[in-house]
Amino acid sequence: MKWKKYRKDNGMPLFLSIILVFCILGTVMFSVVRKLSAEMSASAIQNLSESLDLMKGTLEAILRKEAEFQKMMAQEIATIEDPEEFIRSYQRNQTMVRVSLIEAGKTKGVSNIGKKFTEGELNFSAGGMVEGLQVSQSYLNYMGTWAYTMKCPVKKEGREIASLYIEYVYDSFEESLPDGFYDGWAMLYIMDAESERFVLKPKGMGERDAGHLNLEDFYRANDIQEEELKEEVSACVESGENILFYHDIRDKNALNYMWAVNQGTIYLIGYVPVEAIQQEERTVNQNIIIVIVVMLVAFLLCCILYYLNQRQQIRMRKEQEEEREIHNKRLAEALQVARMASDSKTMFLSNMSHDIRTPMNAVLGFTSLLARDAENPIRVREYTKKIMASGQHLLSLINDILDVSKIESGKVVLSAEEFTLSDLVCSVDAIIRPMARAKHQNFYVEVTDIRHEYLMGDEMRINQILINLLSNAVKYTPEGGNIWFRIIGQKQRSNQYAFIRIEVEDDGYGMTQEYLKTIFDAFTRAENSTTNKVQGTGLGMAITKNIVKLMGGTIDVSSEVGKGSLFVVELEFRLPEGQADRRFWVEHRIERILAADSDAECRSNIKRLLEDTGILTDTVATAEEALHLLQTGGSARNYQVVLLSERLLLANGAETVKEIRRLLPEETPMLFLAEYDAEGLEEALAMAHTGMIGKPFFVSALQEKVLEMQRERNVDGRAEKEKVNNLEGLHFLAAEDNEINAEILEEVLSIEGADCELVENGKLALERFASSGENEFDAILMDVQMPVMNGYEATKAIRALDRGDAKRIPIIAMTANAFAEDEKEALNAGMNAHVAKPIDVEALKRAIKECILGKE
Amino acid sequence: MNSYGVKKAMAVCLAGVMTLMATACGGQKEAERNLISSEQGEKVVVNLFGPMEKTNPDAENIARSAFDQTVIMAEDALDVTVIYRTYTAENYQEKTYDDVTLDRVRNNMDDLYLLNPDTIQVLGEEGGLLDLSGLENAGNLRDIVRMANTVDGKLVAIPQEVVAYGLFVNQDMFDQYDLKLPETPEDFLECCRVFQENGIETPVGANRWWLENFVFAQAYADLYNGGNTEAEIAALNSGESKYSDYMRSGFEFLKKMMDLGYIDAEAAYEYEAIEGEGPDFLAQKTPIVMAYWGAANTDTAYGNPDFNMKVIGFPSDRGQIPVVSMTGYGISANAEHLDEAVKTLDIILSDEALELYSKTNKVISPSKNVDVDCIPALRPLNDKIQENTYVLGSNAGLKVEQWGNTCLIVRELLKGATVEECMAKFDKLQKKSLRE
Repeated sequence: MKWKKYRKDNGMPLFLSIILVFCILGTVMFSVVRKLSAEMSASAIQNLSESLDLMKGTLEAILRKEAEFQKMMAQEIATIEDPEEFIRSYQRNQTMVRVSLIEAGKTKGVSNIGKKFTEGELNFSAGGMVEGLQVSQSYLNYMGTWAYTMKCPVKKEGREIASLYIEYVYDSFEESLPDGFYDGWAMLYIMDAESERFVLKPKGMGERDAGHLNLEDFYRANDIQEEELKEEVSACVESGENILFYHDIRDKNALNYMWAVNQGTIYLIGYVPVEAIQQEERTVNQNIIIVIVVMLVAFLLCCILYYLNQRQQIRMRKEQEEEREIHNKRLAEALQVARMASDSKTMFLSNMSHDIRTPMNAVLGFTSLLARDAENPIRVREYTKKIMASGQHLLSLINDILDVSKIESGKVVLSAEEFTLSDLVCSVDAIIRPMARAKHQNFYVEVTDIRHEYLMGDEMRINQILINLLSNAVKYTPEGGNIWFRIIGQKQRSNQYAFIRIEVEDDGYGMTQEYLKTIFDAFTRAENSTTNKVQGTGLGMAITKNIVKLMGGTIDVSSEVGKGSLFVVELEFRLPEGQADRRFWVEHRIERILAADSDAECRSNIKRLLEDTGILTDTVATAEEALHLLQTGGSARNYQVVLLSERLLLANGAETVKEIRRLLPEETPMLFLAEYDAEGLEEALAMAHTGMIGKPFFVSALQEKVLEMQRERNVDGRAEKEKVNNLEGLHFLAAEDNEINAEILEEVLSIEGADCELVENGKLALERFASSGENEFDAILMDVQMPVMNGYEATKAIRALDRGDAKRIPIIAMTANAFAEDEKEALNAGMNAHVAKPIDVEALKRAIKECILGKE
Repeated sequence: MNSYGVKKAMAVCLAGVMTLMATACGGQKEAERNLISSEQGEKVVVNLFGPMEKTNPDAENIARSAFDQTVIMAEDALDVTVIYRTYTAENYQEKTYDDVTLDRVRNNMDDLYLLNPDTIQVLGEEGGLLDLSGLENAGNLRDIVRMANTVDGKLVAIPQEVVAYGLFVNQDMFDQYDLKLPETPEDFLECCRVFQENGIETPVGANRWWLENFVFAQAYADLYNGGNTEAEIAALNSGESKYSDYMRSGFEFLKKMMDLGYIDAEAAYEYEAIEGEGPDFLAQKTPIVMAYWGAANTDTAYGNPDFNMKVIGFPSDRGQIPVVSMTGYGISANAEHLDEAVKTLDIILSDEALELYSKTNKVISPSKNVDVDCIPALRPLNDKIQENTYVLGSNAGLKVEQWGNTCLIVRELLKGATVEECMAKFDKLQKKSLRE
């Protein structure tokens, strides 16, 4: 990984450098300590030697003084007449504890302690001398302490007349030696070299746990067992040399010393622990160790800080890498999406290019043909029909594209208006059934479990959904196939909302699973050899999905290639207040209805739908039953409406139906419940007060039919209808800035027998209307997007004019702004109707008629 | 702790280290003009002559350590320094410790002395020792202790422990040969015979010091336990009774032992106490040795044997009997530091010090106020002492010193003297004492 490499490249050399620096530092420190230690050891040895030399000097000085004093005493004795008496009278002191004299030629002498004295008690064989006087070997004297004796000749006139023996005790040395040596750490004895016997341990010279008798005991007690060392010591003692050596004493490193005094007749012997003579070394070493430890701690802390820093940097780097990777991944995904979108759009554009060019090609081609064959009316009609068809297709393409664009940019606003399922099904049926029939397909409409027909919602958009789904079903189902359109009432989740499931099923080509994944994406279209002859924008399903989503519903699809597809849309619609208008039925005195249908489901459906209206419903399965019911007890008068399924008519013939009609009072409507495209009803419908309502049954459809039949009874509808059917004699004011459009408009109106006065913008329209006479114009046709003053502003200004017809005159918007909100805005501005461009002559005529009729 | 926290801690540590170093580099207080502190007044010194040197507190030898602790108590209390003067004979040919002690006392070399029973008597009679009756703690002493250390009505020495001597026997070996622990001299000889027959050539391990205990047990069992002690002592001191009559049976017993090879006389003559015979006893080659009470508590002696050890009295016609001896502390009558020596001894012999000593060494205290539990091995011996059944190995009240003289005469026996010659020596000593 990168970060590891980075660490290896940058971290390790630095780390190794630090280690190297500290190693060098450590080596230098170690060398310094060693050198210091060696110097201090040498210094300590020097110091010890000097101390021992000092003590040696002191003891030798004492011995010399003793010898000199003894010589003086001998000289004195030589002058005394009775030397023996002098000796006897001598009082011992702390140094000289016994004084004895043996006259020349005798073996026994006198002593100051009263006993006879012989030289045989003493051993002078070792040959020790002080200032020329013989010194005896050490011995335990009469006082129970260690002593030595010096022998001095007493000479008179050059002749030796006697020998003077003076006994000195070693205890007398004690006063001349220091009280303690190396602060009591050192051990010191005085040893007689000849006998190797320890003769004095000066006070304060250390403590120990075994009595030291002699050199051998000293070795044993202090575990000095090395024979070589012992031999070396013996050799030194024999030759009267000093010896100093290291040896552990009771597990402590110690300097052992044997210091010759008086040419080696006596020895200063003992040891001192090294730590006692090198106390400063210990302190120095301790301080150095403290410094080293502190340095190590500092080094360790530095290492830890360095490590933490490295770790943090690595972590940050890692996080950055990860972030970058995620970012790159997202970018790659985004790029992929963009590419896909781009591909989709490229494909779409390619399709569009093809799809737009194809009808456009037809328009242009036939237009050129039209110019050539203008004299031939049959050709002209044929060309214009084809131009019209191509133009319509082009228009639907453009509408779809605009729809997707609007939905995607969130500009779609759903309206919530009351509508009836009846109208919805009716309008869809009216569009789809002809399409299906054209392809010889069976189109089934089924409505089940619906409790509420009146709903609040955007009917136009719901229509759009259904048309999209059904037209696709028609498109992608081969000839002779079946299409089912089902509206199924679901259990309500709330009292205020109706929950409806819409199913569109076909047994057509079906879709692959891969395609199902992208079916609701924009700019996709199922492409294969079977379907590529089908025209379409590929936007229908995307629009459908988005509208369903906008309505808070769901859409699902299941499909299998070769078996067909099933689209399921679930939507909730708010219920309008004051639904189930019972008053209508009361006002029209309809209390009881007889319904006859061979399909039990249809019968229960009718019954259920009429429950809320307060109408009593009797249902029978056959026409005969209906007839029988009406015949008994004059009950025909009890029914204000009779519903008969077309199936009964076809099954039983016209006779039974006629009999029923005959039994019914004249004003009682008899209605056939039939498919919209049902055939063979003409004879039956020719009967008075007989009509037809489309299947499936809806209360609203019944209501409308009843109302219509009553109206027909009251008005001579046919004459009226004819009157308003053309625009003959009407005079319009038209505001249109586009010359071609203006020309088309003028031409269309003139064909219809109307004329119009054209102005170029809203301001001119305002001025023209203001200057016109009362009721000079029947209506104003107003473009919206115009220079100087737009249609809305002009309308508002006209409505604001102070003249009688300013408020009344119908103003019809003619605009390329074809969306619902545009229509809404137009109405808000004071216009009466909205007609989208390109101008559909029929739509224009219908709008004009509605306005003028409404006005009247 | 997160990394920020660790870094913070590191920074604080580094700051601490720097502060430490900065402090260490700080200068020291300016030295005073005179670099030598004024000399302390010299401490009063009490010279103590004994066989051993002063030890470090962590010394291994527990007995000496206990004594040193009591000395330290005195030093602390009185602000004195007790200086130890020592002498140990290099071999038996040299002057003995007792000889040196006598010389040193007679020449006023020291203040305090640790004295063996024989020297106590000699020096007591010479008047070289201070009467210690006036010591504050002298009133705590057991009667037996007082009696054994009184010469001419003067309490001349006081011990730190009552030393009881007994036979240390290997119970396992006795059990092995189905032998009962001997009560009488005859029992003892029979045991030795059985051991010897079973391949143990020398059943009794002996040294040059302690064989005399056999003699004392047999000689004085009746004297000290017959209810007529004072009269019998008076008869001996006046010459009406003869020491040799008392001693004869004991010497004959020893002679028989030597003749039968139960004791190796030659070795015994040279063996120092425990050093010579001890290893064989511990190695279970010798079933019987003799030693003092404290040896059973001391690891360096017989404190940790690998067998079942028992300490019993010496055989006598009255059964097993311990021999009690006392090494006491005396003060030179002409001591240079007399007052300090008296005060020091008074503290060393206080109940507090004696309790410390006795508990540390697990020995019998001379103070009647101090009782110490003994180990199981010592119970047979302790039971006898508690029953007041014992003989004294030394008694300053007897004109003829017992402990030292008997020891020397036993050595004569070891060197080949006859029992009669030995008895003649006792008679000679008695005569001499009567003359003095």
